[in-house]
Parts: sequence; C-alpha cells; structure tokens
Amino acid sequence: MYDIAVIGGGVIGCAIAREMSRYRLGIVVVEKYEEVGFGTTKTNSGIIHAGHHSPPDTLKGKLVVRGNKLYDRLCKDLNFGFSRIGELVVARSESEIPELERLKKQGEAKGVPGLEIWDRERLRNAEPNLSNTLIAALHAPSAGVINPYELANALSENAVDNGVDLKVNCAVEKIVVEKGFLAVHTSTETIKARFVINCAGVYADKIAGMAGLSDFTIHPRKGEEYMLDKRLKGLVQRLIFPIPEKNTKGILIIPTFDGTIMVGPTAQDTTDRDDASTTYEGSEQVFGFVSKICPSITERDTITEFAGLRAVSNTNDFIIGPTRIKGFINAAGIQSPGLTCAPAIALYVRDILKSEGLVLEKKKNFKPHLPGPPRFASLNDEQQRRLVEKDRLFAKVVCRCELVTEAEIHSAVDHGARTLDGIKFRSRAGMGRCQGGFCAPRCMDILSKRLDKPFQEITKRGGDSWVVKKMMDS
Amino acid sequence: MIEIKKYICIGCPVGCPLQLEHEKDRIREVTGNECNRGAKYARQEFTDPRRSISTTVQISGALRQRLPVKVSGAIHKDQILEAARKIHELKVMAPVEIGQVLFKDFLGEKGIDVVACRSMKRIAEAMTACRTKKHRRSKAGKPE
Amino acid sequence: MLGRVEKKYGVVVVGGGPAGMGAALGARDCGEEKVLILDREPEAGGILLQCIHSGFGMHYFREELTGPEYAERFLQKVIDHDIDVLPGSYVSGVAVDSGGSKKVRIMSESHGLITVETKSVVLAMGCRERTRGAVRIPGTRPSGILTAGLAQKFVNLKGYLPGKRIAILGSGDIGLIMARRLTLEGCRVEGVFELMPYSNGLTRNVVQCLEDFDIPLHLSTTVAYVHGRDRIEKITVAPVNPDLKPDMSRAWDVPCDTLLISVGLIPENELTQNLGIGLDVVTGGPLVSSTLETSMPGMFACGNVLHVHDLVDYVTREAMLAGRFAGEWSKGVRRPKDNIRLVPGDNVRYCVPHTLSPEREHTIHLRCKAAMKPCKIRVGSLMEKKLRFVFPAEMIMFKIKPDLLDKFHGDTLRIDILPLEKGERVD
Repeated sequence: MYDIAVIGGGVIGCAIAREMSRYRLGIVVVEKYEEVGFGTTKTNSGIIHAGHHSPPDTLKGKLVVRGNKLYDRLCKDLNFGFSRIGELVVARSESEIPELERLKKQGEAKGVPGLEIWDRERLRNAEPNLSNTLIAALHAPSAGVINPYELANALSENAVDNGVDLKVNCAVEKIVVEKGFLAVHTSTETIKARFVINCAGVYADKIAGMAGLSDFTIHPRKGEEYMLDKRLKGLVQRLIFPIPEKNTKGILIIPTFDGTIMVGPTAQDTTDRDDASTTYEGSEQVFGFVSKICPSITERDTITEFAGLRAVSNTNDFIIGPTRIKGFINAAGIQSPGLTCAPAIALYVRDILKSEGLVLEKKKNFKPHLPGPPRFASLNDEQQRRLVEKDRLFAKVVCRCELVTEAEIHSAVDHGARTLDGIKFRSRAGMGRCQGGFCAPRCMDILSKRLDKPFQEITKRGGDSWVVKKMMDS
Repeated sequence: MIEIKKYICIGCPVGCPLQLEHEKDRIREVTGNECNRGAKYARQEFTDPRRSISTTVQISGALRQRLPVKVSGAIHKDQILEAARKIHELKVMAPVEIGQVLFKDFLGEKGIDVVACRSMKRIAEAMTACRTKKHRRSKAGKPE
Repeated sequence: MLGRVEKKYGVVVVGGGPAGMGAALGARDCGEEKVLILDREPEAGGILLQCIHSGFGMHYFREELTGPEYAERFLQKVIDHDIDVLPGSYVSGVAVDSGGSKKVRIMSESHGLITVETKSVVLAMGCRERTRGAVRIPGTRPSGILTAGLAQKFVNLKGYLPGKRIAILGSGDIGLIMARRLTLEGCRVEGVFELMPYSNGLTRNVVQCLEDFDIPLHLSTTVAYVHGRDRIEKITVAPVNPDLKPDMSRAWDVPCDTLLISVGLIPENELTQNLGIGLDVVTGGPLVSSTLETSMPGMFACGNVLHVHDLVDYVTREAMLAGRFAGEWSKGVRRPKDNIRLVPGDNVRYCVPHTLSPEREHTIHLRCKAAMKPCKIRVGSLMEKKLRFVFPAEMIMFKIKPDLLDKFHGDTLRIDILPLEKGERVD
C-alpha cells in the first residue's frame, strides 16, 4: 500500500512526487508512456513566465510568481539548464501601449520584479533584429527558459533517488474506491494508495471520471511550434511576446535554453486528445505573424516542427484540490503558465495533502541534489581534456550536429533513457539539423547493447514506434 | 499483326520516348530516338533485356553483419527477384576477399556467379564481446 | 598506415570518402610524403560503402563497379601510398597561427583529444540529406519517416529493413535506388511522389528501379499529410498546383508503414563555417579559387562538400586536383592569385570554381536552372560551346584553355546558357 499514487509522469506529476519524496512516505508515479515527460511536457515551450500575464484573481495567477521564484533553487538542486533571459511584450501601435501599462500594473501588484516599459530606441538597441515598426515594449527581466523534458527527467530521477517508485508503460484503466484507500487498476498491475493525485494532463477528466467524478472537463488546445536552424542563434536575445489575445499569449519568438530559436505556438481547440499534428494553416499563421515582428525569420529555416496539447479546463483555470472522493486529489487543467507554476503547485498540493490528514515527517536522508548530465560541447578545452582522460568515450562523437559524445549517450541511458527520444531529450543527440540521420543507428546500437534488447526492438518513443524490422534472411 | 512496344531510352538525360514496331519477334522499326543509342537500346530491351543485380548476404565474424555482393554478369530482367531470393540463401564467414566467388553458376547459367564486392577481415569474437559488456550505473526507470 | 597518427603533416584531409581519398592521393602524387586522412566512421570509404549498386567507375576505371568495390580500390591505393588513415575520428576545430600553419584538433576514441600540425588542409566532408523538417510536411510525427540514405544504411550496412510498405517522397537517385533495393528485399513500394513535373533522378534509375518493378512515379505530386501516432500508418498525397502547393480537392490516401525522403543533398559545411570561410549561398559549399583553395589560405575543398556532384568519378577527379594543389602548398609553392571572377549569367545556377587564373587550363563545373535543348554555353566573348541539351540534374563540364584567357582583359567573366539562334545547329 502506497501513501500516494501520482497518475501522470509529466512535469506536474514529477514535481509533486519529488516534493513529497522529502517526507517519509511511500510514493508511486504511474506513467502510461515509455518515459516520463512524453505527453504534454515534451512539447511545452519551456518558458518560465515572469507572471504579469495571468490575472491575480485566478489560481494560475496566484501561483505563477511564486513558481518563477522557486526556479532558482530548483535549478541549483537539480542542475538542469535554466536561464533568465527576460521577456519583451512588444507593441506595434500607439493603441497597444495602454495594454503594456495595464500588464505592468498587474505584474507589479503581483510582485513581478523589474518591470519596465522601453521606448522604441531602447528596444532597437537591445533587440536590433526586431522589426523597426515596433514602438515600445514591456520588459520583464525575471522571465526565463528551460528545456521542459529536461526538468521532468531531473525531477523524476531525483524522486526515484529518494525512494519514489516509477512505473512506466503503465496506463490507468480503472479506479475503485475501497475502504480507506483507492485501488488503481493499470495495464500491468493494481496499485493501492491512500491518496491518488490526478496529474493526467489532457486525460485528467477521464481519470477523474474513473473515480466517479464528473465535475470538470478538459478541452485540449493544440499548439504548433517550429524549431529553426542554429544559423539563427542569437537573432533575438529575449522572449518576444505580442500583446496577448483572448485565449493565448499569442505567437512568440522563443530563444530556447540551447540558443536555437523556436516560433509558435498556435492555439487551436481540438477534440482529439492525441492530436499532435502540424498543419499548413498553422505554419502560415506562425510565420505570417512572426515575420512581422522579426523579418529575418522565414519558414525556410525550419529544421523540425511539432505540436502539443494544452490541458485547458472548462473553468479556464487550474483545478487543484481535494474532491468528494476521500483521498482523490486533482491537479488538473494545468495549462500555461503551468510549467512556471510546477514547483509552486507541488507545494500547494503538499499543503492540501497535509490538511487532508497526511502526516508529513521529513526524511533525514533526503538528497535534494542531482548532478546534471555532462555537456561536452559546452565545456572549454581544459575541461574537455579532463573528461576524455577519465573516459575515452568522451572522445567518440555520436551526434555531429550537436557534438554529443558516446559517453553522454551512456550517461543518458544511465539516467533512464529507454528510447531514441529519451536519448535525444537527455543528450541532444538527434536534435540538430540532420534530425538523427547520422546518429540514430549509433544510438540504437548503444541502446540495444545497454538494454540487452535486439536492435529491431528499439523504438523512437515506446509503444508501436518501432524503427526497423528484421530482414528476410536474418 | 504489327504491334508497338514503348520504352524510355536510358542512354542520356534526354530520355527519348521510343516506339518499337514489331511483328511477333521481328523488329520492323524504332522511332522517337534522337540518336543511335536509342535504337540500339530499344532493340536490346525487346530481344534480351538484361540487368545487373547487387545485394547483401549475412556474414559472421566480421566488423559488419552484411557483406555486399553482386552477380558477375547481367541476368535476364525477369530473373531479378528470383535471383535476389536465391542469393539470400548464402551465409558467409569472414575473412572474405574482394572478387571472391561465393556461389558459382548460381542460376544454372554458366559464368554467372555471386561475387563479394569488398574484403572483410575476420575479427576476434572476444573483441565484439568486450564492447557489449560495459557495466555502468543504471537506475531511474530501469527495465525488468 | 591505418590507425597511425604523427604530430606533423604536410596535408591533413578531413573526410575519408572518395573525395578525401582522392585528395590524399593527389597530394602524394605531387610528392608530399606526410598525408593524413581523418574519417569519423569505423572505416574509411564514405557513403560508397552503403551504395552497393553498380554504376560507379565508368569514367575513372573504365568499368562498372559497385560502391564498395570503388571504395576498396581507392583504399588500397591509399594504403599502398603509405598515407595515414585515422578512422573513428572527428575534427572539432582548426586553429591557424600567424605563420599559416594549422593545428587540427581531433577527437578519437583510440587517441583521445589530440592536435596535429599541418601546412595545408583539404575539406572533404561530403554532404548530408535534406530531412522532413526541411521540406515541411504537415501531420503527425510518428516513427517510420527517414531519409533514403539512412534507410540505405539500415539495409545495406546493418541488415535491417526500415519497414515493409514503403512510400517515397522525392525522386532523387538515392530514393529510386532504394525503391528497387527494398523491392528485392520483399518490401512493397507503393509509389514515388515528386513535387516537380520531372524526375530528379537519372532516367536509367527511373526505368531500372521503378518501371522494372511496376512502381508508380507520380510527378507534380507531393505528400500533404502524415497520419499515425506511434508509427506512420498512411500518407495523404495530392497533386500540386503551378505554385507547387497541394490541391487537396484531388488528394488521396496511400497506406504505408514507412516514408522515405529523397529530396536533395546539402554540403556539410559546419566546420567550414566555424572557420569563417566564405560560402556560396547557391552551392552551400565554400567559395574556391581555381586551385580549389577556399578563402582561408592553405585550406582546400573538394567533392560534395564543395558542390553536390552527379558521379563519384567526377568527385575523384576534382579531389585529386585539390590534393595536388594542397600538396604544392605544403611544399611552399605559391601560385599567382586568380584575377578573373566567374559570374553565373542566364540560366546558370552556379559555377565552380569561382575564380580563374590565365596561367593554365581550367575545368569549369556548372549547373543550369532550367532544362533547355538544344542550346549553347557562352563564356563572355571568349568562347561558345553548343550542347544538345542541359538539365538541372546533370552537371555541365567544359574546359577553358589558357590561350583564350590570355586574350581576356577584364576581371569578370560571365557564363550564360542560351538558346541557339536561327540557323545555329549542334554538330
């Protein structure tokens, strides 16, 4: 019997599991995919919002500024890439300036630090590659970027280090309310837990439904994103936001943590909870808009595109809290700025669990720290030499686009990579302009040997995502 | 009865659309060709279309698992699929030398052999084994 | 010698494919004794090793060879000429000191992080394939979408199939070759879909790889949508309008478990760019002089890293030339700087080299923008050459003699491909 079963190994589930692993509790994370972060998390834009966008009277608006602040500590503990590059909301006409002022006021009231309105000249000096038709901008220095999958991996690994059980390829099929506990029936086993935390993203209403709850619904909203060639690295330094629209913060220019530029996302309501497709309309919308803000960005520089689903609830706010089923707690409807809020949501859920009667006793041996993955390409000559002396495989290049060495691939497997995507998200191998054309067979060789699996059983991302079949004569 | 067969000449990138007029096996005329190569090609294709074929076979004891091979002479177009299947019956052990005949007269036609397209040295099996077993730390999400 | 590395060389060649091997041999030919080839694969030979089909060597060896045979003949020459080869190595940078000597930083599993000093360097890194991302196909992102070259590697080097039911986007030669290859391995190839109204591959490959096996080639058609969550399940294909955008009203679905992409090659110039060497935006390769020297003195380039070639035989010829000049350079020979700039004119997409010198004969490589037949190439007012045809997919080569250039007094020479005038005829 577990104390807590977390359903969903996305960034929210992992953050809650990791936070709760500070206490003497039995915790399990149940993830339906092959690895954590393979759902909504991996397609998240990776923005750590400053917090001025969301209204103060919403739960998301209440958690966002605190979440942002918690990232410094979290990053120090878990060593994932995080950089406060700052954000600019840009105005294209005089009529948009009052909106900048309103956002500034809203942010200041919530405690967002350092908000400033920049005039045209200051904007041009700071971001000379933006269109010269922009007339002003709101600067928020505390906004930052991370790689969301990296955070999910770090959180889950640290949680596992602290005793949390992680069950992957484990889909929840039924939840039975028993006396004093909940029985979570999954595709592989039945898990008993006193508390179940529903972090199932776009499926959160379905999971709640399994427990007999029907008080909210999730309406997936698709966002398409387009990753651009490294050639454009440094084109813009900060996150660039337009004046927000009703449903979204609009289409953004995002210098990712690794410096490559990403543009998007779109906002399209969909009924298909697995719809991760990109469309002609989407790319036209993204590039049509972005080229007005930054004229040197064109569709031609796209190296890859993807889409993800936001788990938008019928209240358009987070739904976090206990339910009429004792022990069943929702952490649902986590749309933007959910990534920013993740560490604050974890604390919020902790407090809920406490008030629901869970006894929290701190572990003496909690290990908050996780060494980050080795990043050969980002080291100087001296550091690189030291690594190579320690392990020759640091001198063996596997991914030439991103300069990833074989030692880093092994490290990714050591830290839980089981698929090609798992290796990619942990080591960057396959993320560059050749999109895995060169390194995929090598990564498959390594996975095959390390996992002791035949080559043809290695998958892109688990499930039916096989890569090759055996030949007739072998 | 006069019939027409159509071909696209492969002699050069122009790719002339060729028409070959024939009465049973007798060729009457080739038209559509801009140069002599076209006529020659159409006649060859009509009377005895031949293709070269190359594939790979399983090899053991070498750095790689597949050995590229070819058929030493062009074979009739209709025999290609059968030939490819037949070559797959071959299993080879390293070392192999380039040009080595692996399967003599393999379609029953004299002088049409399966030949190795490269040399492959024999590598000690110990070497492959030590590469696979490299024990490292393994934890999060460890499979059963 | 295989696996040997010393501290100093006259010529270091980056890449051990046909271009690298040719350049190394060229350098040895002109008397340079210290030559090193660096290759990132476990063995030198480059992409030839996975091109198991025949069709190589007709010009150079006067016989039809398969890729591995062509590679092995050259590798044997390389070994016989006592050239050092370091497989499994990767060049992470080149530093140039004030005297012009170059320090090549190498990562190698067998040697660790090492630096070798050399007088000249030949860039011979080849090219890579354009991917799905570069051609932008909407839809889902399942597994089973890969470049034709990667499929070729899986099948020919590793002995695995990319799938069983194959669709191919683009009619590049690698795609056509793979259509036949996979058919021979028992796969079903549903069709080849080409955006343009003509095939990008050789007619010979269209006939022998598609028609022989009744594989349909759909011209002016593209893949408009990819379906399938984990693995690709089907594609929607559609004829394109004159603006090359798909006409969805005429679209249809093609079930498949694999989509091969064969939509062109890009010279692999990351190292070149990091060194600040000037590139030609059209070829994607470095700007080179008539000695195939880049904008960095003592740094040469040849093969597909310079511009994508049709035939390996042409790569070999160009590479041997680059190697010879690199060898000369390392021995201290300095030729006068080129003083004539070549400019692509009407219907000329690019020409290589980019500059000429009147001191010797030159071979000019160029590609046209649009097919034309018959036509003539006009080089400034110096010469005209009539041709039966030109095609974008076929590289055009011709020679310019020094006596012609001697008569030329300008500094830019424009090359045009023009239709024949009234009364003109191809001989």
